[in-house]
Amino acid sequence: MTTAFLLLLLAVGAYLVAVIEAWTSSGRFRLAAPAFAALALLGRESIVPRKSDRVFFETAPVLLLISALLAAAVIPLTPDLIITDLATGALFINAALVYVLVALLMAGWGPNGAYAMVGGWRFLGQLIAYAMLIVMPITAVVMRAESLLTTQIVVSQAGLWNIVYQPLGFILFFVASMALAFLPPFDLTTAKGELAGGVEAEYSGARLAVFRLGRLVLIITLAAATVVFYLGGWQGPWLPPWAWSAIKILAVTATMLLAGRYMPRIRETDLLGWCWMLGIPLALLNILLVGVLVLVLP
Amino acid sequence: MSALEQYGLLLGLTIGTVGFVFSLYMIARSLGKVRKEPGKNVPAASGQLSRDPVWVRYHARYYGYALLFLAFDMEMAYMYPWAVVYKQEGLVALLDMGVFLAILFLGLLYGWSQGALRRQ
Repeated sequence: MTTAFLLLLLAVGAYLVAVIEAWTSSGRFRLAAPAFAALALLGRESIVPRKSDRVFFETAPVLLLISALLAAAVIPLTPDLIITDLATGALFINAALVYVLVALLMAGWGPNGAYAMVGGWRFLGQLIAYAMLIVMPITAVVMRAESLLTTQIVVSQAGLWNIVYQPLGFILFFVASMALAFLPPFDLTTAKGELAGGVEAEYSGARLAVFRLGRLVLIITLAAATVVFYLGGWQGPWLPPWAWSAIKILAVTATMLLAGRYMPRIRETDLLGWCWMLGIPLALLNILLVGVLVLVLP
Repeated sequence: MSALEQYGLLLGLTIGTVGFVFSLYMIARSLGKVRKEPGKNVPAASGQLSRDPVWVRYHARYYGYALLFLAFDMEMAYMYPWAVVYKQEGLVALLDMGVFLAILFLGLLYGWSQGALRRQ
């Protein structure tokens, strides 16, 4: 029952992400637009490119959706509103999200098209850049919570949210999750206007609809993960827990979608340089700082 | 819920998603027939056939990063259990992992000095 309700909420969340994304990019707030877009995609033909790797081509959109969904399954909205409170929750989020890379690489390799291939390889380079900045900040969060349970991580922030306790980790995680969801300025994987959609280039019709749905679920999942790890999850005064979760998740989503609009796009080569020469030393410093704080503070 | 039930639920979620996508494809298919036309299924390449074959070997120009990435990714496997018991173990845990991370960080600095952190 809870599972069905949460999946419904996730669908609503993904829909809102689509609305907000269109709002930030076109400046027009149209509540019904994503529904029409989805119906239009379902009505169109779904072409399979010639001489393609059919297994990779068919698996990619489904795998993207599954990996985002599995990560969402361990994220709590309130103490009880969680699909499954896995004992290894924080680790499981990582494990599930790694398959985003596999899905995008399959989408790049499968159709046997040059543009898609370029997009797929770009994302592989991007993974090597952002992956460490996802896992290292989460480690620092776990150090404070003394548990991998996501609900426990939220409870550990009762006195002070992690965004204040470890601001460095928050910034790194936020930027890395934008790169993971290939949002602008890290969207050269799909590269609208340059690669004809990059990894999306050869998808059309229903398959493209699933691919885009997977991406929307991925964005809302990452926003929810940011809220759980750094913004105190469901905690907050006056309003009920679910309302706080909803407000925070939507705020983080909007920030993620808006922030990239004001930055130049970053090539994966440059991203690799920034992440390894600046990001990883900072992430290690963050672990050290949190380590000292955990021992010093009561 | 026991751990086994939890993983069962996650497996169910996976299978359910596959079923959802399959039914979506079936709905899309039932909406109408498609016409077979030549050239429709050519991959996008600005309106012409791709000049070169696509499935060839590529030079991974970030292989310096990739090798360092392997070392760091393995290290993360140790970090998670360590992070859970960190507060119990106290200063010993900090020193243990501090030495480990320091060695790893020196490796990063060495790789950097040797030019691993650039497009090859």
